[in-house]
This record gives sequence, C-alpha cells and structure tokens, in this order.
Amino acid sequence: MSTTWTIARHMIAEGIRMKLALVFLVLLGMVVLGLPFSISGDSSLTGAVQSFMSYGLSATGLLLALLTVFLSRSVADELVQRQIYLVMTKPVARWQYILGKWLGVTLLNASFLVCSGLTIYVMVHYIKATHPPIDDRYDEAELNNEVLVSRHALNCVLPDFASPAKLEFQRNIEQGLYDNMPGFDPVVEKVRLAKKYEAYWRVVGPAEMRVFEFRNVLCDRSPDKVVHIRYKADVSEFPRDEIFRCLWRVGDPSKGTPVSNIPVRHVIRRFHSIPVPADRVAPDHTLTAYFYNSNPYRGEPQFDNIIDFRKANEVQVLFVVGSFEWNLVRLLILMQCKLMFLAAVAFLMTTAFSFPVACLASFTVYVLAGMRSFIESSLDWSSDDYSMMFTSVTEFLLHSIMYLFHMLQWVIPDFAKYDAVETFVNGRNVSLVWVLQAVLWLVVVKTVIVLGAAILLFHRREVAEISV
Amino acid sequence: MAETAAPVVQTAGLVKIFKDFWRRPRVEAVKDLNLRISPGEVFGLLGPNGSGKTTTIKMLLGLLYPTRGRISVFGRPPSDVSVKARIGFLPEESYLYRFLVAHETLDYYGRLFRLPARVRAERTERLLDMVGLRQEAKRPIGEYSKGMARRIGLAQALINDPELLILDEPTSGLDPIGARQMKDVIRELGRKGKTILLSSHILADVEDVCDRVTILYGGQQRAAGDISELLRKTDATVITTPALSEQTIEKVRDLILRLEQKDILDVSNPRVRLEDFFLRIVHEAQVANIRTSGVRKLGEIPDFLQKPTESTMETIIESLVGAATRKIEPLPVQEPLPGPRKAEPTREVIDGLLKTPADNDEVKTEAATDSSEPARFEQPRRPSGIDSGVIDDLLHRADDETGDKGESTS
Repeated sequence: MSTTWTIARHMIAEGIRMKLALVFLVLLGMVVLGLPFSISGDSSLTGAVQSFMSYGLSATGLLLALLTVFLSRSVADELVQRQIYLVMTKPVARWQYILGKWLGVTLLNASFLVCSGLTIYVMVHYIKATHPPIDDRYDEAELNNEVLVSRHALNCVLPDFASPAKLEFQRNIEQGLYDNMPGFDPVVEKVRLAKKYEAYWRVVGPAEMRVFEFRNVLCDRSPDKVVHIRYKADVSEFPRDEIFRCLWRVGDPSKGTPVSNIPVRHVIRRFHSIPVPADRVAPDHTLTAYFYNSNPYRGEPQFDNIIDFRKANEVQVLFVVGSFEWNLVRLLILMQCKLMFLAAVAFLMTTAFSFPVACLASFTVYVLAGMRSFIESSLDWSSDDYSMMFTSVTEFLLHSIMYLFHMLQWVIPDFAKYDAVETFVNGRNVSLVWVLQAVLWLVVVKTVIVLGAAILLFHRREVAEISV
Repeated sequence: MAETAAPVVQTAGLVKIFKDFWRRPRVEAVKDLNLRISPGEVFGLLGPNGSGKTTTIKMLLGLLYPTRGRISVFGRPPSDVSVKARIGFLPEESYLYRFLVAHETLDYYGRLFRLPARVRAERTERLLDMVGLRQEAKRPIGEYSKGMARRIGLAQALINDPELLILDEPTSGLDPIGARQMKDVIRELGRKGKTILLSSHILADVEDVCDRVTILYGGQQRAAGDISELLRKTDATVITTPALSEQTIEKVRDLILRLEQKDILDVSNPRVRLEDFFLRIVHEAQVANIRTSGVRKLGEIPDFLQKPTESTMETIIESLVGAATRKIEPLPVQEPLPGPRKAEPTREVIDGLLKTPADNDEVKTEAATDSSEPARFEQPRRPSGIDSGVIDDLLHRADDETGDKGESTS
C-alpha cells in the first residue's frame, strides 16, 4: 500500500504543480462564487437558492469530470516523455502504478468536491441573508421547509384496480361482449379495464371526495412538527382566475388522531405543499387525507370543475428525515462515485491510447453514461422498426452494433440513475440506500472491472518505446 | 572474476523483433544475444547507434518484453518486483519530473524503494552533495540544464545502494567534471563489489572503467571478452622517463639498435589530456569562489556506496571536489604522459628492448600509457608481469656509456 500511496501522492502533487488542478479550482471558484450574483431564479428566495444550487452542483460535476479526464493524461504523458522508465524500474508493480494514479485523481476529486460543497453551503447562507425579501414571514420559512431540509417523499397508496377490473371482465364474458372479437387478448383487456378504474379514481368531480392514504410515514409525530402533502392538480376546464378552491381534511379519527380541515386556494397546474401537523399521522404510521372538490370560501366563485390528479404527479406526503447538511454530504458521495468510475475509464483509455484519443474516448463514455436511457430507447426503436426495412447485411450489422451496445451497456452505467442534484435541490432525501447502491454498483463492481481491465492492459503492454 | 558464481544477469538466445501495426516484423533489434555478467563485474555493452544496446537494457529492466529467449536478473525474470529493488538504473536521458525539485525527486524515488524516512533524508542529502547540486536542491528540475538533470539522474540511480547498476550512456550530456565523476563513481562501486552494466558508444569511457565488454553490431554480438585481453598490444613498448637530453636519447637509440637491431619510432614530449587540463582550471575557479548558477563543488561519494574500510584515499574526487568542504590545495602536478604515437614500430623497438634474450618474455608497462589511453590521477596500475629491472639496467648501461644527463622523454 505504501507504494500505491506514494504514486497517489505524486499524482496529487503533479495535478497541483502542473497547474491543471489549480486552473479547474479557479474555474470552480468562479462558478460557485459568481453564480449567486448572477442568478435570481423566479425572484423568490427559494427560487434563487434552488437555481444557485442546481447550477453550482451541475457545474461542479462537469468541471470535475473534465479535470478527471485531463489528469488521467499523466499515464500517457509519462509513457511519451519516458518518466515511466524510472518508475517501472523501481520495485513498483504495474497494478500499484495504475491504482496509485487512480487513487490520486480520486483524492483530488474528493478534496475539490469538499471545497465545492463547503462553498455552496456558505453561499446558500449568504444568499439567504442578503436576498431581497418578497414576503418576510413566508420566504425564509419556505426555504427552510422546502429546500434546506432532507425530506422523504411517499406516494399515496393506490387502491386495488385489478379486482373490479376482473369482476367486470367476468361480467362481460358472461354477457358475451367479447364473442367473435378478432384478436381478443384477455390479459390486455384486463389491463385496459384496470386502467379505466384508475382513471376514474384519479378524477374528482364537483362536490365529490377522494381519499388518499399513505403508509410508513416514519416521521416524528410531535404536534410541533409538520409533514407536507404535495400535489399538483389539473382541471377539465380552466376557470377565469386559474385558481381552484377546495378543502383538505387530514387525519383519521378512527385511529385516534386529531383532524385538520385545510381550505386552499391554489393555482392550477402548479405544485402545492400543504403543511399538516405531524400528530395527524396515526400511531401505525399511516396518514389519511380526504380531498373535497367543493369551495369552502363563501362569497367566492363556485368551482364546478373536474379535478384530475395525474399519474405523473402523484400525491405525496413529505416529512423530514435528516438535515440539509448530511443530504449535501450524501449528494457529494454520489457525485464522487461517478467521478471514480470516470477516472477508471480515463486510465483504461490512457493505458491503451495516446492522450487525444483517450480523451475523446473517455468523454464519449461520459456522454454515453449520461444519456444512456435516451440512447437505449433510440437504438431499440431503430432495431425494432428500421431493421425490417433494411437488407439482411444491414440487419446483421445493426444487430452486431446492438450486441456491442448491450455489452457496453453492461459496463457503462446509467449516470442518470445516480444524478441526485434535482432531488437535493428540491429538499428531498438523498437516501443512504441510494448512496450504498451507487457505491456498490458504480465503485465496487463497475469501477473495479474497468480498473482491472486497465491494469491487465498495462501489465501486458511494453512501457518502453521502440528505439533502434 | 568469479565465473562460477551465479550470474547477476544472464540472457540466452535473446531476440527482440519490433513489429508494425499489422504485427509484421519490422526491425530485428537484438539477435540471439547471450550475456553473462558475474557479480562484481563492470561490464560494458558497446556498439554504434542502433546496435541494440538500449533495447537489450530495456529488456533486462522489463520495460520491453523479449520476442524470444530467456532473461534472468539475480536468477529471476526482470518483471519480478523484488529484483528491481536491487537495481539502480540511469537511462540515456534523465526523464525526470520537471515539476519536482531535486530534493523531492530523490525523496520520491526513495519512497518507491520503501526506504525509511531517515535513510531517505540522509541519502538524499549525501547524494545531492555528491553530484554538487545541494545548493540547487530547491529548484524545479525543469529549470536545470541537461547536465544538472543528468546528475540528479545519477543520484536517483544510487538512492537504493543498488547491487546492480545499469547505466545507459552514463556520460552523455555531462561536462568533463561530471563525466569524470561518473567514471569515478563507477570505479568506486566496482571496487565495492557492485555489478555494473554500462552501455556506451564513447569508447574511452568504457575502456576507463570496464572489466569486460561485449560489442554489438546490428543487434548481434561481434566480440566479447576481458577488456585488458582484448586491447593488449604485444608489438610495441612505451617507456616514460623524466625529460632526457638529446644525447641520452641518441644513446638509447644506439643501445636499442645494438641490442635489438630496431630503431625508435617516436620520441616526443607528452601532453596533458584536455580533460585533466579542464578539471584543473575548474578547480582553480572553485578555489577562487567564482559565482555560478550551475553545478558547484562536487562532494565525495557517500559512505553508503563505499566499503567502510576502503575510503579510497587520495582519489581525484577528494583532491578535486572534496576540496569544496575543506581547505583546497592545488592539484598535484601530474607527471607528463607520453604524447601521441606517431608510428607503431616505436613500440615494437621498446618492446623488443624489454624482452630479455634469455626468456624472450613479453614485458608491458601500464604506467607508460600511450596517447590513446586516458590519463588517470590514481596510482598507475602495474601489471604483475613487468620486469622493472630491465628498464633500470637499460638506463644504467646508457649512463655508463655516455655519462651525460639531461631531460627528455622517449
């Protein structure tokens, strides 16, 4: 380990002394320190902080990805400039050399991430202290409750739509509705019927009520704490003032909890968050919320419209599970996991190719990993539809490419799965399970595979150049 | 040299073929090379540019893999990490990190050898002293001249007190002081019992320090053997005396004619070698404390590279550069050495003179060097076979015949 550590220390010194890391540090500083003065978001305090964190963290991720690839040139440079002659003639195993280089880059990234995280944290508080207030009472509370917090989001439990669908299916069969229907598929029909019942459930007509139930609301149930119900409603027909008025009733007297009646005036098609005292959560950690589509405000226009709670915007309950600070730490760990994988890829490339080629290949992998979902759907679409129109040779080539892609797909991770910036910016919990998944899958499995390939390749190659 | 001892380096049927992108053979850099370097040998690998010297060295160090054949270093394959702990390597160019200062460079390589911190620090200081760069130890290597970087290269090769030192073109890029010091280090390490493999096309360097050589051409071994055996000339004799008068020379000539029926081919005053002259001028400048941003005073070879009992007395290192740290005395005046040979038969005549009619044995003098042999500051090596009585007898007879005395050299 001492040899690996020596190489790692040297890699760090190289990054700093060659000014490459310093240039990126300055850039990072300019971005993180300069953003608060150039971003206003939606002019609210919450918007300003969210915009700053979103841009700041995204820029940090991108700059450190660039830095990782540029630092990996160390191996290619040492091969070209032949400093490696002096290292490889010392008692240094080739795996120690590659591992040491990777460790050096990883540690540099980690230190930069810590610097960036600390700066972002300080600047968030700076913005909080200096941003011109719109509503003194509301601004800071909103920021603290919505953003500078780590909240867990639970979707409501959906009713069983399959059972009524099955009953209707049986009824329809008995009535002979499906007789002589060409291409009839009972499974597809049952799914269609279940979707129909779900669609009925998702809309609430005038003067109707809907029950949303949440389970496993593992929050502190003290009366001074709050949980939030978050939702976004669509309507069948837009009212003139684009506002709907309704009533939320939260709590379940049958389970001995107090009940809160919360009348709301909310803008249509916007997310809204309703604070509810945490003691409305039942001792069995369930929370029941009743939605009444009727106007509780006397004298205001009656709202006779259908409310639609769409599947894409599921009703959720949010409750605090941790601090903003630890959430930031977990986010930085996720970012670090991605950089560790990228560093392994970059070293694999520089052991095989000259720096420009390795640089291009590394960035290609970075982009592929970032856009994997999109690329997957594109290639699937190509193979399914277009391949039928091509000649057999083209089909063969297409399938070969697909096969290659599937191989790459196994190695190249989907970075979007581990992108927690948006989650963090919205004050959601970057869960420890998520972080552990990233550590296990990105670092322990994929990084080790790629780094192993780099070591194997480096072990087999001759480090001296041909000179006769 | 103990030929029976297990060889430090051994190759058998070593072949290296460089291939092109399509794996087609392009250049056969080394062809069927068989080397055997015994412990304690100073072994020279000679050859013109492109003869395969550096390729051979790279294979011995595991930087290149042989196409065919077998290599063992300390009885193990060169890729073995434990073997590398016993090797010091100075490549043909310095290949150091430009962003590190000299001190950090040596410390880094010391760390790679897992030397304890105290040993690292001590050796770093001693080696920087030895190569005369202690004053410049805080400057980045990138600011060094080629020669200065080369000195750091030498220092890093010695940081682990290697058992096998591999030097590729060791004097390349060095000024005469550095070149001389390099040779002194090689000689000193050779005396200590280290095994040294030296590759060079500077023949004088190899001749100065090596016990055995192999000459490569076109990747193949063309000649190999003990250097004294390979270079011995048995058809001439050189005698060096204090300056002689013309009359004495004539008498000697007559004597030789009479005894051997041969004439003297060349009589001349020897010249000091330019290297010695240069070193004296630099030494004088150092004594005068003239400022320089380059290499200053060179230090002694560190103790850890020397035998404790053999502190190499009055070596040139001590007289030339050790002077830096103590009161510096002027260099001892060197005895003039024979000048360039003008014609080979001169040697034959003197050679004939030194043969006694009785046994007709060859007599050689190494003290009397010819112009092709570099001057040395150390005590001349006297071959065991020399019969100095012959020379004394010769001069006595000449004195008896003429009674003249003067100063001349033959």
